[in-house]
Amino acid sequence: MCDNANKNIYLPYLTTVMEVIDETPDVRTLRLEFQDDNISETFAFRAGQFAEYSAFGAGESTFCIASSPTRAGYIECSFRSVGRVTEELRRLEVGDTMGVRGPYGNSYPIESFYGKNMVFVAGGIALPPLRTLIWNCLDLRDKFGDITIVYGARTEADLVYKRELNEWQERSDVRLVKTVDPGGNSPAWDGKVGFVPTILEEAAPVAENTIALVCGPPIMIKFTLPVLEKLGFGDDQVYTTLENRMKCGLGKCGRCNVGNIYVCKDGPVFTAKQIKAMPMEF
Amino acid sequence: MRKYISRQNLNTLIDKLIAEGRRIVAPRMTAGTPLYEPLGHSGEMIIDQLPRRSAKEAFFPLCEEIMSYEKSGQQVKLTDVDPSRFPETILFAVRPCDAAAIPVLDAVFSWDYKDEFFLERRRKTTVVGLACTTADDACFCTAVGLSPSDTKGSDLFLSPLEGGGYNVESFTEKGEALINSCSDLFAEESNAAYIQLANPQTEAFDLKKVKSWLDEHFEDQLWDGIATRCVGCGACAFVCPACHCFDIVDEGTEKAGKRRKNWDACGFWKFTHHASGHNPRDLQPKRYRNRIMHKFKYYDDKFGQTLCTGCGRCVRICPVGIDIAAIVEEINQK
Repeated sequence: MCDNANKNIYLPYLTTVMEVIDETPDVRTLRLEFQDDNISETFAFRAGQFAEYSAFGAGESTFCIASSPTRAGYIECSFRSVGRVTEELRRLEVGDTMGVRGPYGNSYPIESFYGKNMVFVAGGIALPPLRTLIWNCLDLRDKFGDITIVYGARTEADLVYKRELNEWQERSDVRLVKTVDPGGNSPAWDGKVGFVPTILEEAAPVAENTIALVCGPPIMIKFTLPVLEKLGFGDDQVYTTLENRMKCGLGKCGRCNVGNIYVCKDGPVFTAKQIKAMPMEF
Repeated sequence: MRKYISRQNLNTLIDKLIAEGRRIVAPRMTAGTPLYEPLGHSGEMIIDQLPRRSAKEAFFPLCEEIMSYEKSGQQVKLTDVDPSRFPETILFAVRPCDAAAIPVLDAVFSWDYKDEFFLERRRKTTVVGLACTTADDACFCTAVGLSPSDTKGSDLFLSPLEGGGYNVESFTEKGEALINSCSDLFAEESNAAYIQLANPQTEAFDLKKVKSWLDEHFEDQLWDGIATRCVGCGACAFVCPACHCFDIVDEGTEKAGKRRKNWDACGFWKFTHHASGHNPRDLQPKRYRNRIMHKFKYYDDKFGQTLCTGCGRCVRICPVGIDIAAIVEEINQK
């Protein structure tokens, strides 16, 4: 787990930006390759884990690893430019150097999902922490039952991974239900119009032998959990990832705690059952 | 090992160690403020005043470089900080409330990922504790299970004697090594009476009871009542021997600079502020609750220890008079 004896745990690995993809006007995805071949070969992560990304001179920012562990040789992160570090990360171009520390935190217990149906429910910029698992499942397609993805954003422009949404839509072994909030659609929109919890209820995935994974803004989660309950999902069938401001990612700097739970060490992946037992501090 | 050392020989010991190139840190006046700082000679050491900040900064500096970066074109060169460069240090005249916090901090810096910045300094530092002979209204070490003669965290411990000098007791190999390095300055343990120790006027809290109340009262009126006057200045965390929250920041230009680990405080609004604008601890009572919870519940949940040694610094320095001992006493009475 921590083979870092006598090493500087705050020292990032250097990566090269290989690809820059604009997802929305303010959300960008970077594909990164490790500059040290040894790290490139040994860097192993699981879906759900996160990393600390450095823009040298600005600092570090925390995001999930958005690519799938089944895709070796690179990692991807997706972020919205909203602060000093993310503005600086946004200025990086192909070939530029970026720092990465990680992988940190727990992960989805994907092995325990084998043989089950999967329902992914995401809103807006919260698709990346599910996208890692979606591709992980799709790359091991035989191990899972039905796969349903319910994804919504305020407007069409706010949907991330548009190329992949098209790919999922065309696959016969995935059911994609995409939606935008009322008023967020163009005349050409071929998806649903409505808020994610409502659309999820309409889509009505069966709860039996199914795992639901929910990521989105707090308001979406708040209204989605009762819908899942209504559909028959138990709290231990529902997973989400929490985000709190972090600095170290290592269980030391003291800010990401929700009660006595450290999101960086005990999370970021939690079941709805665990979330409901936590104090409201996220 | 038990020995005696006269005050004069203690000074000789310190000066001899300094002459040998050892780094000696002890309470001394620094710009009018008593602080644990490196000594130039033994005469600078003051033992009658509690330093303004705790001894934790000997292991966990207020601000420290953790790496540096240098850009050239699209490439970045990182330079690591080699912890082996940290000097061997002897901390003298450390108050029991400060020494006791050091092993408490070991837990967080050594669990799972190892913070070598803390741990390497820890390995290279000998802690010489000094029994406390004066207490003020803010002292409450006795309330959290410690005492003015508590030797927790000390490699060597000095107990002042009537008529001058100290009985010296060593608890670790580091402590014995220090005695053995200058054994001619030490004599056999003295039978002289000990100077009367400080007597903080605080009754022991029932820390288990306090914790079990906290276990059940994340939401409680108490938090609103005590923290509305908190101005969020963070001074309590900065003077605390056990607070260890930190920030990681880059300081420099776009071309080159350093990454630093700086003290931070859970009382600051920005501490938990998300980039989205959301803040899980958006109000001061929520932040103050975290301070109490971390010290008397969360750290206990995680490491089985209380994150407070009763030094009273936060009580003395608070600009609006918030008294953590009174708050915990109130919880203790519930």
